[in-house]
Amino acid sequence: MSSGRPMIDRYRWYEYVAIYCGMALFLTFVLAPFVEGFLVSLKPLTHLFSSPYRFWPDDGSFDAYFTMWQSVPLLGRYIVNSLLISTVATIAVLILVVPAAYAFARFQFRGAGALLGAFLAVNMFSGAVLLIPLYRLMRSMGLLNTYFAMIVPGVAFLIPSAIWLLRTYMLRIPRELDEAAWVDGASRFYILRRIILPIAGPGILVVALATFIGAYAQQFIFALTFNSKSEYMPLAVGLFAFFGKERVVWNELMAASFVGIAPVMVGFIFLQRYLVAGLTAGAVKQ
Amino acid sequence: MSALTLSRLKKSFGGTDVIKGVDLEVTEGEFVVFVGPSGCGKSTLLRMIAGLEEVSGGEIVIAGKPVNDLPPVKRGIAMVFQSYALYPHMSVFENIAFPLRVERLGEDEVRRRVGEAARILQLESRLEHKPGMLSGGQRQRVAIGRAIVREPRIFLFDEPLSNLDAALRSDMRVELTRLHKRLGATMIYVTHDQVEALTMADKIVVLNGGRIEQVGTPLDLYHRPQNRFVAGFIGNPKMNFLEGRCTASGGSGVTVDLGPLGTIALPRPGGAGLVGETLSVGIRPEHVRLDAEGGFRLALKPGIIERLGIHTVAYSPLPSGDTFVALFEGDPPVKDDEEITVSVDPAACHLFDASGAAIGVPA
Repeated sequence: MSSGRPMIDRYRWYEYVAIYCGMALFLTFVLAPFVEGFLVSLKPLTHLFSSPYRFWPDDGSFDAYFTMWQSVPLLGRYIVNSLLISTVATIAVLILVVPAAYAFARFQFRGAGALLGAFLAVNMFSGAVLLIPLYRLMRSMGLLNTYFAMIVPGVAFLIPSAIWLLRTYMLRIPRELDEAAWVDGASRFYILRRIILPIAGPGILVVALATFIGAYAQQFIFALTFNSKSEYMPLAVGLFAFFGKERVVWNELMAASFVGIAPVMVGFIFLQRYLVAGLTAGAVKQ
Repeated sequence: MSALTLSRLKKSFGGTDVIKGVDLEVTEGEFVVFVGPSGCGKSTLLRMIAGLEEVSGGEIVIAGKPVNDLPPVKRGIAMVFQSYALYPHMSVFENIAFPLRVERLGEDEVRRRVGEAARILQLESRLEHKPGMLSGGQRQRVAIGRAIVREPRIFLFDEPLSNLDAALRSDMRVELTRLHKRLGATMIYVTHDQVEALTMADKIVVLNGGRIEQVGTPLDLYHRPQNRFVAGFIGNPKMNFLEGRCTASGGSGVTVDLGPLGTIALPRPGGAGLVGETLSVGIRPEHVRLDAEGGFRLALKPGIIERLGIHTVAYSPLPSGDTFVALFEGDPPVKDDEEITVSVDPAACHLFDASGAAIGVPA
């Protein structure tokens, strides 16, 4: 059999069957909620409570995608808030993490190992455990109901894993590059700016994307706790506006979810190849 | 004039002494090679001169100025690293220009100096390429170019040829020697390869266990090793050492009883105190003759024979369990497991006492 594949990548037919069955099962679990969510967004509301329930919308339409802007006028604002909070958090994390990761990758100082261990430990606490202390802190500092309250705790929880990720990447950059630049008279900051940053670019992009996702996902809990102003709400909390007194407007809720995620999804489709390249490629090929 | 002076230089990592007191004088324009087995401290010594390692004791003086506490850039040195340490995201031009950019030199001056370096190193057609597109030898030259533009007093090379394949390595050896002649600069070169040391150096510094074993010209070290370590390290294949007991010693010669191998009388003055001591006789494989009459005769039964065309190397087991290596020119009629008798001129043999120090010098 000369399929053109290297021998190590060749399988027997039953191995292929098993591999594809496994993938199908896995993808069903991952994707089914999205498919069902999308189908729901197409159905008229009355249809949703009909019995027997039908998955396929016979009289589907995109009406919900238009009516949702009227029933929740602030929806656009929520989407912008979500992106704003995540973007600011990502920028803040990068500004703090790049020099920190460089320091952890290059300097030997007392407590470096303990500090890195502590960062891992922080990841073991979910934000939820610390919500009440954080709430009291925010209240006494008068920071409740601000963007600040939703961004800063998020940043704090995102920094540890970002440092770990970027430090690992920077460790793969040969130390001799730093030494060569230093011998030539470059300062530490010059080395960081001119040598390390460009070479670590793909790694920084990976950290930025991971942080953005993290910030997007965790903003719900902070927004729910620290913010009661509807103008500042991110999408995840803003969607509660579709929960009416008597009924939940499921189709519009789903439509709003998809529209809210869309910008992030599109961004990811474009950046995905950098993400994979950054995670797999060696920093410097000799 | 002295370009570099090391005095009582020491370095320890934690509790371990890596450099145990090194004194060395390097003259302006010299090509000095630090050579030694891995872990002997040669790279550490170079990095101390560069300013990449702190000095634990002693002093480094470059051009009359103590530099212990100066950063590398103020020492007037430039260094070429083993991995070349080229910046992968910069073009060849920017790689070579890097030290000048750090210095914030004007664009015209940068172009002039990089152009000059590229001309010397024949990199002119490669200036816009990225290092990833270059061959090993070209990368090596870019790394050297980055050192040249600094116009340093001393060039430091840390095993710069060890990443190249054998053919390219001998080309680069010639190129580096040519470069040294052309620039006339002081160069310090670290290697574990004695061929590089012997072919390129004006002066070789043999290091072992953090100490200097011997300093001298390549032929000095080859002909007159001061101790057993240098004798065994310089020369390829390695020198044979035969252990024996001194039976007679005087103004006219030293006689050593080699047990089952016989007795050898070396014509060189020895002290009377040597009688009864354990000595080792050093015989270079290339001094072993098949055809000659007279001399010290030795019966060998080669187990393995390597035929290289120009040379033939025979490995023969000795009664002591060691292997005796003999190197013959051309393709002599020796066969595996067939006994041969060889002869050695006793005057050409080396002699070392129990502590490893050389006794006299071969004629």
